[in-house]
Amino acid sequence: MLAGAPNTDDADGLILRIAKGERAALASLFDAEGARLVAVAQRIVRRRDLAEEVVQESFLAIWRSATQFDSSRGSARAWITRIVRNRALNLLRDGHRMDYHDTETLTDLGDRAADAMAAFDALEERDSLKLCLSRLDEPKRRAILLCYVTGLSHGEVAATLKAPLGTVKAWIRRGTIALQDCLS
Amino acid sequence: MTREGKQAAAGDYVLGTMNGPELRAFEQELASDPELAHLVADLSDRMLSLDNVSETEAPAALWARIEAALDNPATDEPQTTVVPISKKTSQQAPGTPWMALAACAVVALGFGYILGATTLAPPEPRVIAVLLDETSASPAVIVEAFGDDSVHLVPLETFEVPQGQVLEVWTLPDAETGPVSLGTLDETREAMLTGPDLPEPQPGQLYEITLEQAPGSPTGRPTGPILVKGFARNPVL
Repeated sequence: MLAGAPNTDDADGLILRIAKGERAALASLFDAEGARLVAVAQRIVRRRDLAEEVVQESFLAIWRSATQFDSSRGSARAWITRIVRNRALNLLRDGHRMDYHDTETLTDLGDRAADAMAAFDALEERDSLKLCLSRLDEPKRRAILLCYVTGLSHGEVAATLKAPLGTVKAWIRRGTIALQDCLS
Repeated sequence: MTREGKQAAAGDYVLGTMNGPELRAFEQELASDPELAHLVADLSDRMLSLDNVSETEAPAALWARIEAALDNPATDEPQTTVVPISKKTSQQAPGTPWMALAACAVVALGFGYILGATTLAPPEPRVIAVLLDETSASPAVIVEAFGDDSVHLVPLETFEVPQGQVLEVWTLPDAETGPVSLGTLDETREAMLTGPDLPEPQPGQLYEITLEQAPGSPTGRPTGPILVKGFARNPVL
């Protein structure tokens, strides 16, 4: 495994104990991952109180469904992160569609773009994800980061990058294929 | 799906850009396609480096709220209990009067529901579309679309549905949303279908029916041949 990839042993072991109903294991998982997950949710929902709400619901979901975790389908950290991201995305999508005309939204889009770039910059140089993202053309890299890090839809990425929707969809399609080829 | 198609779909899934029907169709596919599951697992594990946000420490007040919710499931999300139909008879065993009472209450509720439903005037469709046969251009299906995301289909001709395939009904609320599945039918018949939560159907909105592999389009978008299509119009009331 490449340096920079997370050590997954801890979370995987904790999920197995949570599946057996050990509340202490859930507490340990919260200590280890809670702060990170609130930050992940906040990049998508933007408000701290909503991000905490997302993480609270996610931990209840983890408690109920830990028996369904299947380690052959990815690491426990990826699983719990997906639960948090999906809940944050649902909140974002259900809450409102963006109206690009008001200034508040334009500021919001600017903040999201900054968060997306910060996440990329924070990747360790040795992490092959950084290498492979760096090899993509800039628009493709930005489009992928805006979707993944800040939860934008294709339409919102198009508005942020001031590019036609069809072009953005093609960037993301070709970009994610190239990324997977580079990573494998 | 080609390998590139699978990579693209895995990318959309991991990025979180799939919409409701597309997402549900993909998750079905994921459960039965090991290659796709492998692509998703690999990409999500690698993308996880972007989620290593440095934060100081987990907020203790938040853990206290989680513990409170665990101790008091009433504040938790409602749990749905599915009672298998075969168990119903054993629950109505004699000697459990409270269950008989509960059963009466259920019957009464059900009766009230039916009464309530029949005393209401039938809803008026917001728009009606006559879908034309793609080859003969003759009217083939009437679609009445209501304001509650449901549609009423009345076929005017019979379509051959080969074994292992289904008829899938689509609408295009707007270009950005793209085509949205309203449901599938395994044979030509009159039906009420309820699609996902969409804006109110508008005049000019496209409706179409395609032939797809059962249980429905794997991509959440029309992939098979278009049998019929038409644009909605306002009924004159």
